[in-house]
Amino acid sequence: MANSSGFDIRKQWGFTPIAILCFVLLYLPVILLVIYSFNAGTSVAIWEGFSLQWYRSAWANEQVQEATLRSLVLALWASLIATSCAVLAALATTRVRSFKGYSTVFAAINQPLMVPEIVTAVALLILFAGIKVQTGYTGLGYLVVAHSAFCIPFAYLPIRARLQGMDLTLEQAASDLYATPYQVFRRITLPQLWPGILAGAMLAFVISLDDVVITEFVKSAGQDTLPTYMLGQLRRAVTPEVNAISTVLLAISITMVIAFFFLSRTKK
Amino acid sequence: MKRILTTTALIAVAGAALAEGELNIYNWGNYTSPEMIEKFEAETGIKVTITDYDSNDTALAKIKAGGHGYDIVVPSGTYIPIFVGEGLLMELDPAELPNHANIDPQWVDVKFDPGRKYSVPWQWGTVGVTVNTAIYGGDINTADVIFNPPEELVGKINVVPEMNDVMGMAIHYVGGETCTGDKEVLKKVRDVLVEAKPKWLSMDYGMIEKYAKGDMAAGVNWNGASMRARDQNADIAFGYPQTGYPVWMDNAAILSDAGNVDNAKTFINFIMDPENAAMLSAFAKYANGIAGSEEFMPDVMKTAPEIVVPEELKSAAYIAETCPPEVSKIYTQIWTELQK
Repeated sequence: MANSSGFDIRKQWGFTPIAILCFVLLYLPVILLVIYSFNAGTSVAIWEGFSLQWYRSAWANEQVQEATLRSLVLALWASLIATSCAVLAALATTRVRSFKGYSTVFAAINQPLMVPEIVTAVALLILFAGIKVQTGYTGLGYLVVAHSAFCIPFAYLPIRARLQGMDLTLEQAASDLYATPYQVFRRITLPQLWPGILAGAMLAFVISLDDVVITEFVKSAGQDTLPTYMLGQLRRAVTPEVNAISTVLLAISITMVIAFFFLSRTKK
Repeated sequence: MKRILTTTALIAVAGAALAEGELNIYNWGNYTSPEMIEKFEAETGIKVTITDYDSNDTALAKIKAGGHGYDIVVPSGTYIPIFVGEGLLMELDPAELPNHANIDPQWVDVKFDPGRKYSVPWQWGTVGVTVNTAIYGGDINTADVIFNPPEELVGKINVVPEMNDVMGMAIHYVGGETCTGDKEVLKKVRDVLVEAKPKWLSMDYGMIEKYAKGDMAAGVNWNGASMRARDQNADIAFGYPQTGYPVWMDNAAILSDAGNVDNAKTFINFIMDPENAAMLSAFAKYANGIAGSEEFMPDVMKTAPEIVVPEELKSAAYIAETCPPEVSKIYTQIWTELQK
């Protein structure tokens, strides 16, 4: 009982095996997926030597090219719109006196985190189908709107965290020196907030890039994104081409998350 | 940035304009031969766009909601009555489709679409038994391999977790009829399944690699999956239980709210041409239901035992259908008990 550092979870019995098990379960499948993307054979489980052929075949696949471009365009628009909304929402929920219904507003902004995705997907399907019939417009706009909506909380949370961690006295000092509210925002708040905004945008970008369920239900003819294209492949023989595409998608996501980590860490 | 914006604008415009000369096909992923589509586009000048779905339910939900923009859909036979019942499919006029006469007679008067009024064959396949003949050398055209397995196979069997297929195979094994509600028969089915279960290793999908490696020696399987396992290991064979085995079929149909009806008809007629149907098969690796397409098939498929059903076993096939809810309920109970 002479443990001076108090309770330490790492010293509990079984901690190490459980931790190792968790990490193995989390990462082993992904590592295997990446390894087999370099397989020379057509199998995703029998190793037949190293080859880049599946990367080449994915690269040359017109459907993959189109789906990739569409995914990127969509993620760019969605993260742009979601981040803009999130910045405004974050300012309105941190730089004001606490008001009645604050927690309701907070919950409403973060609604996409709580509501099961399939519920949102079915709701959007029904709503958009009605609009499509009325207007005849079947373009990418629906996906942009849907993605923007569910990306907002992911952009909002890091921006809000950044705002809360910022030193209020700087803004007060600027106001004392007769800066207008807009000047305070433009010269003081925004520059300090910038890393949070970038981090939020990147998170939103990755979330949009990965989405399957909502996209599957909202997409119109010819609007497969990379994840829905991959889902469509699974019913039939899976070749390492899907592994290769997954690996590239994984690389993009990891890069973004690492960038997010460094951006949100600066000037703590 | 500018280029991306331009591209976005282009995509948006392309989506908005339902110009002449387009056709939107909504189909299972990786199921439409790109070569066949190229040929169709070259012959007709119609621009084809293919969009994927991953399940009959997704397709049904999206089409029911309306405003989808698709012209052609390819549901499984079990779903055709639901699509028709909801009024989602356009009635076909064989007089407008000269190639309608090419449908193999055995696929014209199918239960899910008698007389082929709404749909035409796309691809079809069977659910049978995969056996590693290096491990078991006996007769493989029997469901005994699964329900009363020989010593060599015990503990090395996988059964695909498809309730309707497995139940159907078991019902026919004990001498019952498709979708039977006969309590006596179903009691026998239950006993057979519950007794066989301990002799199985697993009930999972995606076993191609395990059959190929020999980890799995037998199982209820799809013919296409079995053929791919044989590609990797020549000892793998596919059997058709003579007591009865299910046949599934995916079928192309025109949606009742299609925007490009004439193009859709042109396409439906096009895929019933034996040469084009063979292109579909060459890509998707299943049979197509169009008479005379065999001669255009790749050589390996003309003789593949997974595709060419032996003459004497043809009559044992039964077409999978959606059973009435009250019967399905009993099946589900047996199935749930089996999975414990």
